[in-house]
Amino acid sequence: MRSSLILIIFAIVILIAGVLIAISLAQPVANSGGIPHPDISGMQAGGDGAARLEYIGSLAFAFQCLLLGLVVCLCALGVSARRRGREFMIYMGSSLGFMLIVWWQMYSRHQEFLESGSTAYFMGFPIATAWQVYGTWLSAIPLILIYSIGFRKYIYTREDEEKFNHLLAERKVVEQKLSENKASESQ
Amino acid sequence: MEAYRQEIILGAVVVYMLFCVLTGLWAMQRTRSPSDFFIAGRGLGPIVIALALFSSTLSGFGFVGGPGLVYSIGVSSFWMVVISSTGYAVGFFLVAKRIRMIAELRNCISLPDIVAARYRSEAVRFLMAVTIVLGVMGYLATQILAMAVVMQAILTGTAMFADISLVACVIISSAVLIFYCVTGGIIASVYTDVVQGTIMMIAGTLILFTAMSVFDGGMAEATSIILADDSEAIMPFGAAGIMASLGWFFVFGLGLAGQPHIITKMMMNKNISDNRSILPMSLFGYIMAALLWISIGVVIRAAVIDGVIDPLALPDDAASVFLSVFASPLLAGIVFAGLFAAIMSTSDAFLNIGTAAIIHDIPKAIRGHSVNNELFWARVVTVLLAIVAASFALYSHYTDATLVAILGAFGWATFSASIFPVVAIGLNWKGATVMGAVTAIVAALLINFVVQLGGIVLPYGISGGLVSFVTSLLLFIGVSLLGKPPELDADIESVLNI
Repeated sequence: MRSSLILIIFAIVILIAGVLIAISLAQPVANSGGIPHPDISGMQAGGDGAARLEYIGSLAFAFQCLLLGLVVCLCALGVSARRRGREFMIYMGSSLGFMLIVWWQMYSRHQEFLESGSTAYFMGFPIATAWQVYGTWLSAIPLILIYSIGFRKYIYTREDEEKFNHLLAERKVVEQKLSENKASESQ
Repeated sequence: MEAYRQEIILGAVVVYMLFCVLTGLWAMQRTRSPSDFFIAGRGLGPIVIALALFSSTLSGFGFVGGPGLVYSIGVSSFWMVVISSTGYAVGFFLVAKRIRMIAELRNCISLPDIVAARYRSEAVRFLMAVTIVLGVMGYLATQILAMAVVMQAILTGTAMFADISLVACVIISSAVLIFYCVTGGIIASVYTDVVQGTIMMIAGTLILFTAMSVFDGGMAEATSIILADDSEAIMPFGAAGIMASLGWFFVFGLGLAGQPHIITKMMMNKNISDNRSILPMSLFGYIMAALLWISIGVVIRAAVIDGVIDPLALPDDAASVFLSVFASPLLAGIVFAGLFAAIMSTSDAFLNIGTAAIIHDIPKAIRGHSVNNELFWARVVTVLLAIVAASFALYSHYTDATLVAILGAFGWATFSASIFPVVAIGLNWKGATVMGAVTAIVAALLINFVVQLGGIVLPYGISGGLVSFVTSLLLFIGVSLLGKPPELDADIESVLNI
């Protein structure tokens, strides 16, 4: 897992490109990108939601699952390889699971609405949209908690800080020697 | 109070602008070197950085274009906002620590400095600097134009300035921006960002409560009106459809870590360990300010459908119509000041990175060293860059409106596609090569240019920005994997190991 993370990221991006190509080749739908509102100029309407998803619904669902996987893998890439231990990967895996649940809830509640034509509301929005507005915002909170709470454990440990300070000190010595050499050359 | 609405709004904006001027004068005394001018001497605290980060992220586009987009395409545009938590997380995990370490280790003052150190390549530095200059010109021109249009709308409502021209408004608003950027450099910029960010948060919160009181049933009544008219508009993928929405998640979410005006601020904090608090604070500020985008957009769309107000002449009028119809004069004054704050906080960041690219990076890439007396030339070029961008905005406005739009394409999506792989992945993967970086940047620029100039429309609302981003990621990793693993300088390799 540790050494192959960039290969996993590469594989996910290839799959995303493949899904995009498949969507581009799918049978076109007239209102896929919206249609002018029948009564109000300057406003777009969505029209028949089921028709828009008929040929690409599952592909779009897969696209977002891959994208969420990519997000979590990229965040893991930002952590030093030796700190990506079992515990860290469990946290990252759980974060991905949480993001996927939010996405699945949003998508399936939208599907339910398309089938039934009715929806409940949560904090001002239809349920599916509430999952989007509140759920998507909250779904990355585990990643932020891992970063902020786990900062000294995964991101920048005391040992890392010491190493970096050592690097800075080395660099200063080199720069000082260079400036001394320059000064002696000019004399 | 209602009788003095325009005067109150004008007063709020004038007070805000005076503050910017005074901050410029104060910061001038603290700006003694190019490092102070461009990266504030890497001495800023976590609250300042957090506010500067989020206020630079949410530009005038967020305050004017955002509500307009909700009016126009419904919930689709929410995706640009709700990805903020993901975007900030990716940006901090991938960029914040290592960009700050390399900046201190190599005394870097710009993003091209960082990539030149990482890749040991002047070609990558040059391409990065050119990308930044192209993007800055488009972004800056649109921001200056937006600032002038808003100012004209405010001033023409008063008896004294009823006939003021757009040119005069460009001159007045640009003069304030130029003054504090030239005198105080990035120090003035980030300290004005602190106030700008605070105003934006207050404006966002107050607007949410105002918006919820427009309909008796609150936000639920507004969304149910939209649902009854066209259910897809208020469902998660909005009128623009699922692929346009998810494409924005990709480009705006991951792309945040590729925005030079944002990630350059990650080089400025005093302590690397401050990043642990900067991340949640930035996100909190962004969410508070972005409430304006969502709440105004939803309420105005519902109000027009319900016949409460007439259809808008332009979707971008959503915010100003909301303020004139539903907000008290005092709130309208705060929000208009917040609008100027949003535009200026982004503009000053662009002026700063554009100037660094012109006087520091391009000369360094071509002849091995930057210009002599950098601080003096930084101030001169800041003025020239703002004048060129303002002239360009006016020329485009009066003669060829497509010019700004074309360079505007070199905005968020192009920065995402060309900078994200090279910086965000390159700072975390030792196998990234110069050839991979060059290929990714060139491909991103070409695809965005071709899609924009060719007017190419992709099926199912897939955007050119998404295609260019995915392509540049593929090329960056693929070409790097095919090449020989690069030799890194020992100190850079150590940073990449930490």
